[in-house]
Amino acid sequence: MATATETKTEANLLEAQPRTPGTKNDARRTRRDGKVPAVVYGAGKDTVAIALDPRQVSRILHSATGHNTIFDLSLNGERTKAMIVDWQYEPIKGSLLHIDLKRIAMDRKLTVKVPIVIKGDATGVKQQGGILEHILREVEIECLPADIPSAIEADVSQLVLGKGIRVADLPHSDKLRFITDANQTVVHVTIVKEEAAATPEAAAAEAASGPAEPEVIKKGKQEAEEGEEPAEKKK
Amino acid sequence: MLMPKKVKYRKQQRGRMTGKAWRGSQLAFGDFGLKVLEPGWITDRQIEASRVAMTRFVKRGGKIWIRLFPDKPVTKKPAETRMGKGKGAPDHWVAVVRPGKILFEMEGVSLQDAQEAMRLASHKLPLRTTMVKRETIH
Repeated sequence: MATATETKTEANLLEAQPRTPGTKNDARRTRRDGKVPAVVYGAGKDTVAIALDPRQVSRILHSATGHNTIFDLSLNGERTKAMIVDWQYEPIKGSLLHIDLKRIAMDRKLTVKVPIVIKGDATGVKQQGGILEHILREVEIECLPADIPSAIEADVSQLVLGKGIRVADLPHSDKLRFITDANQTVVHVTIVKEEAAATPEAAAAEAASGPAEPEVIKKGKQEAEEGEEPAEKKK
Repeated sequence: MLMPKKVKYRKQQRGRMTGKAWRGSQLAFGDFGLKVLEPGWITDRQIEASRVAMTRFVKRGGKIWIRLFPDKPVTKKPAETRMGKGKGAPDHWVAVVRPGKILFEMEGVSLQDAQEAMRLASHKLPLRTTMVKRETIH
C-alpha cells in the first residue's frame, strides 16, 4: 500500500504567497483573485497567513494519499514539509474556502485520520439479502509521517448477516497505532425491513385526525416558587 | 408524520431564511444525498411523501437517513374568519432549510437506483435540489 510520501517530487510542491491576515473582506479579496486563503502553523514556528492556488490543493486532496499527503511548501523561497490538516468547502458550489496547513517534523509521530476502504463483496449481501452498512469511514492512527498509509483495507468478503468488523480487526503494520476505540464497529451486514404499504382506510383516518399537538413545557421555576411560598408563610 | 414531542412555546413567528446551510451540508452517513439549492420551508407531509417515494423504490435494498426535522409550527386561521382576534391555531410543522442542506442520505444501493430514488423524492419537494455522492463512488 502506498504511503503519504511516495508521490512524485513535482506533484509534492505547493507554492504559497504570503498575505496579510485581516478581516473576512480581505479573505474574500483573496478568493476573488483566484486564490484560496490558508494558514500554516506548527513545528514551534510562528503562524503565517498565506494564499494558495486552489487547483494545486484540490490535486493533493484528490490524490491517492488524499489529505495525508506530505508535500513541500514553498514560501518566500524557503521549503518546509507540510500537510493539510483542515479544509472548508462552500456549501452549494463545493469550492474551497480555507485551508489549514501544518509543518511536519519527519522524525516525530503524529495523529492522522486514514480512510477505510472496503474490499470484496460480503456473503451476507450476495446470498442472504442484507445490506452492507459502512459506519466508520476514517480511523485515527498515530505513526511517523513516512509510515502513513493511503488507506486501510477492510476485507468484507467473509461477512455474513449480523456480523461486522471492528477497529481491532483491521489489518495494520506494527509501525502504526490506532487511536480510535478498538471496539468501534467499522462495517456490518444488516437487514432493512420492508415497509408495509399503508391501507387506504388507515391513510384516510390519519389524514382526517390531523396533527396531535405536542406537550408544552411548563416553566419549572414558577412551580418551585409556588411550592415554596406556603413554607415561607409558616415561618 | 414527523413532529416534536415537547415544545417550549406552541406558536412561533415566521423568521428569516437568509444565508447558507453551513452545517449539515456534507454527507455524514450514506454514499448518496439530496442537497437543496434554495431556501424554503418543507412541511412534515412533504418529508413523509419523499421518504415513502424513496423507500418504495429501493424496497429492501438500501438504508435511508432523514437529515431534516420539522420543528417549526405554522398556524392557520379557520376559513371565513375575520381578521384579528389573535393568532390562529397550530396547523402543521415545517423544517426551515437553507441552500446547501442535505435533506436525505442513502446507502446500500447502486448509483442508478439512488439517482432514480432521489429524483422521485425531489418531485415531492417544493424546492430545487441536486444529488450529491461521495468522491469514492463512480
